[in-house]
Amino acid sequence: MAKEKRFSYAREVKIPKELEGWEEMYPPHRLFSGERQQWEDTQFWYQDKIHAPEPMPPLDEIFHQAWQISLAQHTTRIFCIPPAQGIAQRMVGCYMYICAITPPPEAVIKEKAELFPKRTFPVFGNYDRLWDQWLPKFQALGRELAAIKVPEELPKYMPDFDSATTLPSVSPAHELLEAFNNSVNIMYRGWQYHFNLLNLTYLAYLMFADVARKLFPGISESAIGKMVAGAEVSMFRPEEELCRLARLAHAEPKVANILKTDRPAASKIGSLREIDAGRHWLEELDRIKDPWFYVSCGSGWFHHEGAWYNKLDVPFGYIKSYVERLDKGEKIERSLSAIAEARDALVNEYKKLIKTDEDRKSFEDAYKNVRSIYRYAEDHLFWVEHWFHAIWWDKMREFAKLFVKRGVLKDVGEFFMFNRLEVPYLIEDLANSWALGENIPTLKWSEKAQKRKKILEAAAKWNPPPALGVPPEVVAEPFTVMLWGITTDKVQDWLAGVAVRPEQVTELKGFASSAGVAEGKARVLKLLEEIATLQPGEIMVVGNTNPAWAPVFSKIKACVTDIGGLTCHGAIVSREYGLPAVTGTGTATSVIKTGDIIKVDGDRGIVTIVKRAKS
Amino acid sequence: MSYVLGFEEITKASLPVVGGKNASLGEMLSAGIRVPPGFAVTTRSYVEFITEAGAGEEISKILAAVNPDDVTSLDDASTQIRKLIDKAPMPPAIANAISEAYALLSKKCQSKELPVAVRSSATAEDLPGASFAGQQDTFLWVRGIEEVLEKTKSCMSSLFTARAISYRIKKGFPHEKVLISVGVQKIVDAKAAGVMFTLNPLNGDPSKVVIEGSWGLGETVVSGQVNPDKFVVDKIVFEINERIVSPKTIECKYEAGKGVIHCDVPRAQQNISCLEDKEIIALVKVAKQIEDHYGCGQDIEWAIEKDKPFPSNIFIVQSRPETVWSQKKKEPLLGKKTAYELLMEKALSQVKISS
Repeated sequence: MAKEKRFSYAREVKIPKELEGWEEMYPPHRLFSGERQQWEDTQFWYQDKIHAPEPMPPLDEIFHQAWQISLAQHTTRIFCIPPAQGIAQRMVGCYMYICAITPPPEAVIKEKAELFPKRTFPVFGNYDRLWDQWLPKFQALGRELAAIKVPEELPKYMPDFDSATTLPSVSPAHELLEAFNNSVNIMYRGWQYHFNLLNLTYLAYLMFADVARKLFPGISESAIGKMVAGAEVSMFRPEEELCRLARLAHAEPKVANILKTDRPAASKIGSLREIDAGRHWLEELDRIKDPWFYVSCGSGWFHHEGAWYNKLDVPFGYIKSYVERLDKGEKIERSLSAIAEARDALVNEYKKLIKTDEDRKSFEDAYKNVRSIYRYAEDHLFWVEHWFHAIWWDKMREFAKLFVKRGVLKDVGEFFMFNRLEVPYLIEDLANSWALGENIPTLKWSEKAQKRKKILEAAAKWNPPPALGVPPEVVAEPFTVMLWGITTDKVQDWLAGVAVRPEQVTELKGFASSAGVAEGKARVLKLLEEIATLQPGEIMVVGNTNPAWAPVFSKIKACVTDIGGLTCHGAIVSREYGLPAVTGTGTATSVIKTGDIIKVDGDRGIVTIVKRAKS
Repeated sequence: MSYVLGFEEITKASLPVVGGKNASLGEMLSAGIRVPPGFAVTTRSYVEFITEAGAGEEISKILAAVNPDDVTSLDDASTQIRKLIDKAPMPPAIANAISEAYALLSKKCQSKELPVAVRSSATAEDLPGASFAGQQDTFLWVRGIEEVLEKTKSCMSSLFTARAISYRIKKGFPHEKVLISVGVQKIVDAKAAGVMFTLNPLNGDPSKVVIEGSWGLGETVVSGQVNPDKFVVDKIVFEINERIVSPKTIECKYEAGKGVIHCDVPRAQQNISCLEDKEIIALVKVAKQIEDHYGCGQDIEWAIEKDKPFPSNIFIVQSRPETVWSQKKKEPLLGKKTAYELLMEKALSQVKISS
């Protein structure tokens, strides 16, 4: 690449002065530094818009800290994927940048090539057994996290004890510290588990995609995805449960009538409690709440997003619309067996076209291989990023409540302004202030939190560069290619688009995730709560979707997202509903405005702004 | 055997009597595919016509005297024979049969004098394809029984172009064994027309239908006079993978008083796709149907009729077996690899991302 065709280095980036002090929010090893500059300059860094599209609240950084180690180790030290190395992370102006580390020396690649087949091939043949081990192991870890006792108060005097028989070993202050350290250890362990099977899943997908493209040149990613995607996966259970609850309600007119009113969920629950059928229905809800309502209202990566079980207005809103549709005699469930049958029929049709027996055998083998493992990509997402993270935030809020009670922090949200290495300082400071005596001051943590909140708000208004450094010649790391879709075109687009302002953009490129072309009015939704503003037949433009958004798809004409590839939730559900979708555009929610007339070409992955709304 | 057979009476078994093209049209019609209606003038008509005109002996004499290596000799022979045929009167029985069929066809299509296409349809498999049967084996916008009879004879005489004569002599194919049929078919007044293949002609990929089309009658596409729009469609998932809209500057259409002419496409229409997405998908579905019926790759001519509602405006004008890729030796593309070998290959690979 020509010397001038590069992005700024991190140190050259002009960070707005409103972000001054941002560096203190993150641990030192997570920043670009002079100490590692020589190495850092040789890598190509791009903003991770999939997992960190927003400015990073310090405590929420923990997941990324954990996955940096885990993703990489599975590639380099466990499965030894020959030319691939890990994905490194750095923070710049509160945004996270990642890079696929360039391949190791030839000698190392050769060593790994020996180890790789021995370690990976057996996984495919034994996936079901491995999954049957993994899931209970992971669920046990989540329950361990949930069971951690966080002291609700630091009492003036410890409760009375019989000094003749039992002396208190430790105090709640110590328990507080232990509880937090244990929580952090469990979180890191959970992310270790997360990658136990994932890297191979992506490798298998890429291999199968190659096979499909060799046999059927020009086959779309969406067609490949249709052949591979599972229908019976954990990610779809939450919506299935919604449908089931809606049907239960529909069968009981009194319950249905309460649910159909326009009231907050809490008020509806109050009314339901007053009648037998209502109590019965609520019991059913409670029974499935954990785990199926532990689905995030957002991506699952940020503490402020909430989940269905603690933002009941969201699922109750969906249930209301489902009951209304049942009134009209409509079908509300997606038939998963029909989806599976359609998928199998599709594969058979392609298979029939294969000309030689040898190719057919290879295709069948490759398909069996990817199908054996691919459901992990879809299953793990629910258990880790939704269920496990939901438990984590509940736990963190317990810590936060104590700080608020003690007057150290003003509100629960301030707790998340400190990263996981700083929280022990707060805890120790609080522990000391309690232990040392009366009216012992702590540091002004709340002030610090307020300052950081403002920095994050300023960072949200800033448009960070899409990439840093010199684009590489080759990329070997499977996640980078598949999940982030780093291709020559993408890099070229970034290089070209760095100077363009949002208002000037007329066309966006992304993944052609679901076939078809649709034109209509755009509705840009930044938060799940805004869903109520969506009018039927509009085109939804969002950062990302996940199971919490599923019921929306029956209303919309097409779907556009900032992040996500062919296998993201928005892509899968769009295909099921037969809606055009373009995902992973990077900037849709910042470039498109509600009211704009846009054209979504799901065949080619292009979104065109046909007419701007009058401002 | 009759002198004339309606398409609805024809199946692929009729090939010896009506030739390949007509047999295909009848076969498709019986499979429920929308083919413009018409009829075939059978090989019996040809044989009796030649015999009764006394032309048979004359033709044999001329052919015996031909020097197959002398172009002039061939041209002379061809001219003589064709003149002979064109001048010879059609036996009344045959002329009546054709007349009746044409009148019936016109009535069926609610026209006084239906504009038809008159095409030769060769019978022998080893008779070379369209390019040998004659340059003028298709006459467009033929109206009225006189013209139909005239053009029918022209199609028959196209058996004796210089190239066809030369080919048969070289192959030692006796001329009495070569028979021809003529198809008379309602012409589609096409808004857009073209060809499609039930595989990708560029690489043999069997999962696609590749459509080429332009405005007006399909001649411009078939003859290569225009850069057509091109659509590559995955026929399993019905996704349009590739869409190339070309500047379409000329179209072939019928103009009253002038006949079939080539004229300029209005500026505003040149860069618009000649097909809407729903038409593309409908064409792909028909192509699949035809391919499934015949069990092999097809080379299909289609037309979208003006002023008719979708989807009844979509017609198949012709279909023949695709000959290029079906002849090629089938080589394994994946190198006989197992999933693990492929996985190893993938694991070792790096994606080149710089330009």
